[in-house]
Amino acid sequence: MKYTVTAMALALSATAVFAEDKVTIEFAYPYSHLFDVTYEAMMPGFKEAHPNIEVKFRATYESYEDATNTVLREAVAGNLPDVSMQGLNRQAPLIDKGIAQSLEPFIAQEADFEKEGYHQAMLSLSTFGDKVYGLPFSISLPVGYYNMDILRAGGIEELPTTWDEVIVACKTMKRNGIDNPIFWGWNITGNWFVQALLWSQDKAIVEDGRVTMDSPEALVALEQMQEIFTECEMQNLEWKAALSSFSAGDVGMMFWSTSALGAVERSQGDFELVTGPFPGLGETPKGLPAGGNAAMLTSTSDDPKVREAAWTWLKYITSGDGAAEVAKTTGYMPPNKAANEIILADFYEQNPNKQTAVDQLPLLRDWLAYPGDNGLAITQVIYDGIERIVTGDATDMKELQEELVEEIADLLPNG
Amino acid sequence: MAVVDHSVAGIAKPKPDNRQARAGWGLVAPALTLMALILLVPIIVAAVLSFTNYSLGNPGFDWVGVQNYERLFTRSTYEKMFIATFTYVVTVVPISVGLGLGAALLVHSLGRIGDIYKTIYFLPVMATLLAMAIAWEFMLHPTIGMVNRTLEMACGTWFEALPFFANGCAEGFPLWLGDRDYAIWVVCFIGIWQGFGFNMVLFLAGLTSVHRELYHAAEMDGARSGWERFRLVTWPALGPTTVFVVTISCIRAFQVFDTIEAFWPQGGGPNKSAYVMMFAIFEKGIQQNLIGIGSAITMLFLLFVMFLTLIQRWLVERKVHY
Repeated sequence: MKYTVTAMALALSATAVFAEDKVTIEFAYPYSHLFDVTYEAMMPGFKEAHPNIEVKFRATYESYEDATNTVLREAVAGNLPDVSMQGLNRQAPLIDKGIAQSLEPFIAQEADFEKEGYHQAMLSLSTFGDKVYGLPFSISLPVGYYNMDILRAGGIEELPTTWDEVIVACKTMKRNGIDNPIFWGWNITGNWFVQALLWSQDKAIVEDGRVTMDSPEALVALEQMQEIFTECEMQNLEWKAALSSFSAGDVGMMFWSTSALGAVERSQGDFELVTGPFPGLGETPKGLPAGGNAAMLTSTSDDPKVREAAWTWLKYITSGDGAAEVAKTTGYMPPNKAANEIILADFYEQNPNKQTAVDQLPLLRDWLAYPGDNGLAITQVIYDGIERIVTGDATDMKELQEELVEEIADLLPNG
Repeated sequence: MAVVDHSVAGIAKPKPDNRQARAGWGLVAPALTLMALILLVPIIVAAVLSFTNYSLGNPGFDWVGVQNYERLFTRSTYEKMFIATFTYVVTVVPISVGLGLGAALLVHSLGRIGDIYKTIYFLPVMATLLAMAIAWEFMLHPTIGMVNRTLEMACGTWFEALPFFANGCAEGFPLWLGDRDYAIWVVCFIGIWQGFGFNMVLFLAGLTSVHRELYHAAEMDGARSGWERFRLVTWPALGPTTVFVVTISCIRAFQVFDTIEAFWPQGGGPNKSAYVMMFAIFEKGIQQNLIGIGSAITMLFLLFVMFLTLIQRWLVERKVHY
């Protein structure tokens, strides 16, 4: 009996010691259909390298909008995760509200931060007021996905480089009996494709706290969209339905983020898939918005061990083998130089479809957030406006532009 | 001395009553506190917030007066909200009540087989609407969905004489969820499909309380046909049940949300054609963190529901009691 008690006490103290060494951090990320595989691929390596850190995954965010929202709610309720992945265009509000914390103290302690592949261009995506607040995790750019079987059946041999050529291609395909020639991803998160058309003309959608929907460039963008939607007779598909239609081989051309490439390839039917650069308005685009997300430290813990563990996790997923998994499992590019040049040296040669976005990297521009508390509401206003073009409800683009400008002015802090 | 005595007696006399009253309040207090805390305080907080521009995560807020309410009645977005909500209520309530009554009468006239029908019609009620909405989303997919695939099978047969099929076979069948002319009707259809089983069960319960003797009496008085028996006996006897069913259906119709959130998590349908009130509250208050305007819609919503409940009370008390 005595021995049993001693043994039990020993066992108890052993688990206590074990539990003390183990640090648990909580983590949340968006878009489970893209990233589940990525984190699954990362976890074994991380567990081996840091056996005493346990990463607890919270329910995934549905989208970047949902990610911002959830974190704001959690901040009010006081149960923030330690690390949260946030859309590149949604970092600013979290910094304004003091939810995301500066990473400078951690970076200062790192001896060879630069050598691990964190370079200026990468960090600038998450730098606000000279301070680094996040480590960019994945970068995407808009690209064209082409079902070569349908294109050839429709008599198209060369990939289009301008929207005019896209429209010609649509018409050729229609004539040759292709019902569903195109899906143009207007409904992607954060008005990304509108910003793509504006950046193509080298125009930012937000300048000095003003939304530039009243600019002539914005009108060109609206008219370009209308031309694509009506001339191609594009169906108003919900984006998930569109992605599954394309994967099933029903759609000829799909313009979407390179990020979905991994998911599309995994569910791809029997056809030849080729990606091509994002077409421009008459010429090659002058710029394109950077999509993707960054890892932000949102921990409210005072325990230095937890904060240290959170930093370790942040670094693991954005450098070395962790970052390389991003490219391997999704269509995203890891922004880490070392991961790209060393681990992924011959990866892009073997995966030419994932190379397309890498080639467009010199065009990388900021994905801009709308200022003020109504940022998400402004996103919705522009979304609703474009939807009216797709459904044919709005036919006069000048009128639509005026309405949009008015509604946005209503929502701006200085409007 | 005598005065003091009198006053003591004066206090002492109602004492048992007082004590009883105090004990009564003491016993009721927990329930009252909970009711106030859980039911009334949130409504009051929402009412107060509806006059502010509070946004979640901000340290403070400004009073904006009735600006939120003014926007509700002047902006085209909210006009679409009212149109969608009332279209849904006006379509779903009569049809689901009518179908529920019809099904109840038919099932009631059956013997034991009726139980099988009861179970089948009640299945959609038991299933979560959200899960069902996802199943519908797959079925309504424009190219690979079951609904359009089935419709395509009719191509090349005599069905093509109908304009709907002729058009669909040539141009492709409707996008259902992506077409602003169809979207709200699809939602209505799913609402009816899901809701009428519940109404049927309520009517069945009402039918069991109709006395057999009434039918015999009516028959002796010359009501021979089934329709007359229904008009003279069943329908009046079902009065209280009908009022209850209609009110419940109305409130449930005002509350529709799951299907819209599942089909169009962003935007509430093509051109906001299915932008119902509950979804508007969710979009403004939860998705965009604009608590002020979200609360204003909530108050309006409460007002509608309260109004319906009052009508029901009035009808129950005055009109349909026998």
